[in-house]
Amino acid sequence: MKGLKYQLKSVLRDKFCLMTFLLPILAAVALNFMGSIDMSSLGELHFGVLENGLSPQTVTWLERYGPVTAYETQEELTAAINEPSTNVIGVQADGDSLRTAISGDELDIFQQAAATLPALYERRETAEQVEVQMLERPDILESLQGIFIPAVLIVAMFMGCTFNAMNIISEKEDGVAFVNEILPMTPSQYTFQKVVVGFLFGSLSSFVTACICFQMSGLHFETMLVLIVLSAFVAAMIGLFIGKLSEGLMTGVVYIKIVMLLFLAVPLVCALIGVSGPLAVICNIVPSQPAFEGIMALSAGNTKTALKDIGILAVHCIAWFALYVLLATRREKRSI
Amino acid sequence: MGNSFRALFKKDCRMLVSGKFFLMAIGFLALYTAYVDLGYIRFMQMPPYNVYLYDPAGTQTERSPLVQTVSSMEAMDAALLSDANGVGLDASTGEVRVVLYEGAEHVDRHRADYALSLLELSASPAPEVLGTNTPEQKARKEITCEMLFFELTAVGFLGIAAVLFKEKGIGVIRVHAILPLRKDLFILSKLTVFLLSDLVFAILLTLLNVGSAEGAAVLPVVLLQTAILSLMMALVGLLCALLLKDLRQFTLAYLVIAIFAATPVFLSANTSVKFDWINWHPFYHVYMGLKNAYFGTAISPVYYAGAAGAIVLLFLAVQLAFRREIGKEG
Repeated sequence: MKGLKYQLKSVLRDKFCLMTFLLPILAAVALNFMGSIDMSSLGELHFGVLENGLSPQTVTWLERYGPVTAYETQEELTAAINEPSTNVIGVQADGDSLRTAISGDELDIFQQAAATLPALYERRETAEQVEVQMLERPDILESLQGIFIPAVLIVAMFMGCTFNAMNIISEKEDGVAFVNEILPMTPSQYTFQKVVVGFLFGSLSSFVTACICFQMSGLHFETMLVLIVLSAFVAAMIGLFIGKLSEGLMTGVVYIKIVMLLFLAVPLVCALIGVSGPLAVICNIVPSQPAFEGIMALSAGNTKTALKDIGILAVHCIAWFALYVLLATRREKRSI
Repeated sequence: MGNSFRALFKKDCRMLVSGKFFLMAIGFLALYTAYVDLGYIRFMQMPPYNVYLYDPAGTQTERSPLVQTVSSMEAMDAALLSDANGVGLDASTGEVRVVLYEGAEHVDRHRADYALSLLELSASPAPEVLGTNTPEQKARKEITCEMLFFELTAVGFLGIAAVLFKEKGIGVIRVHAILPLRKDLFILSKLTVFLLSDLVFAILLTLLNVGSAEGAAVLPVVLLQTAILSLMMALVGLLCALLLKDLRQFTLAYLVIAIFAATPVFLSANTSVKFDWINWHPFYHVYMGLKNAYFGTAISPVYYAGAAGAIVLLFLAVQLAFRREIGKEG
């Protein structure tokens, strides 16, 4: 217990560790403030017209499909159409019909929309009489914000990894690692102390982040807590590995970056592309994937998937711990 | 003066080689190129919505070849479930009924009307094409620009700082305080080394990823922008190295720059999400300069004046910090 006290003391003195603790919380607060940004406009059609170039009825009709911006001169309109970051479709009147203009570098979906817009305009009256049946999407993400929140939470959970790795590396650099070797402390005690420190701070950081991001009901909160605790433990174990493997601060930072990138990229890409089948099972090798899936399932109210993910995370905990113990005993044997 | 500059320059090059700076740059170049060719170009495709028609009586004779027919309502449900952006048309009751999964309101309306329009032949005029880029060219230019910016501001910057902190740690600045050299040469030789390596990196990255003919056409302006960005980042790196105590403190500053400064810039510059305050963000203008260079858009002289002013100011700040540091050491 006394060793643990010293560990906590050394972490609290370390500004870097404290920063990694606060970063996800800050990001969560920023996300809450940024909630007003409308991400749904990303897939929308945008139209550019000349001022007084179209009748008000036509503009109203266009606004059914997406925002319409009026430009004063033809040059401004052309510049807006050619602007690479947007997919503005230029619309001009052509007698009773419409004429569209695109830049030619748009994705197929926008090019096709521009090509069919005049036909849509011609049959605008008949289209309104057709019955449209809307089905509720089974697992649609509300908006991109729905992806950002679990991403921030994952960063928070895996902060324990950064904590541990940085802590161990700085001990190596300052020479404390050598002092530790002659202290009356067994390797298992050392491991325990390090894991507890990373685990505690990782859990705390993600707990606060989760409280800011989600307002959950009782059962969901408990499940979320289990998810947080398990992933924080895995992260702490991985941090231990990084700390042991890296020789200096620079290599440590590179390792942490690679791990963080992998942890964020795998679940995000899986969620965006919608991976299924054997590939989805393979993705579970990265521990952030079940954590991400679990949080997404919980926010959609799907407790069954969340429980399955908790199971996968538990397997991760056991596997990483066993791997560490195996490597440690082997190293001990070699040193004897 | 020329000789001493050459000596300093050689020493800096040797230090970068021993710090594996060039090796890291080549590694990242290979990684970026592989990502563009194997991942990004394939990922950045969005075909038009699929339209599925269930028409057992064969009433829709004029339908476009883009419409796919299905044999039963169950088959349509299955098709829509696996392709939630697709649109189903049910013509089994005589009247056509549209079935689709709910998304954003405007997009849903367009999807429904678009699907219906495919049931009738129409000879609408092809859209007028105003730009010169194909979707692939655009994607290549966009991602190359992003990666160059990321490399210069994030990866390269970290490398610069690592090298400078190492120098500081082994006492090179202390030695400079007593060397009979002009003090500016220390800063100038550093800037030259980083500038040259960044320019070579920009040339290789552009030619490999944008294509040799296209890349060569935009290269002069791109190199000018790269030089501006490279000088700025090297000066900021130098300033950090002189003002901050060690690399750990720097990593903290770096994290803040990388996450909070770069994310809104990428969002604003590459998507239709625009922030009102983004014009106050210095990185945004530099990024847009680089992007405009890749897309051949005119760059305002005000920007060049601002960039030159910023570089001069940063240089003066670095000079001041360097003299202070030497004074402290001496």
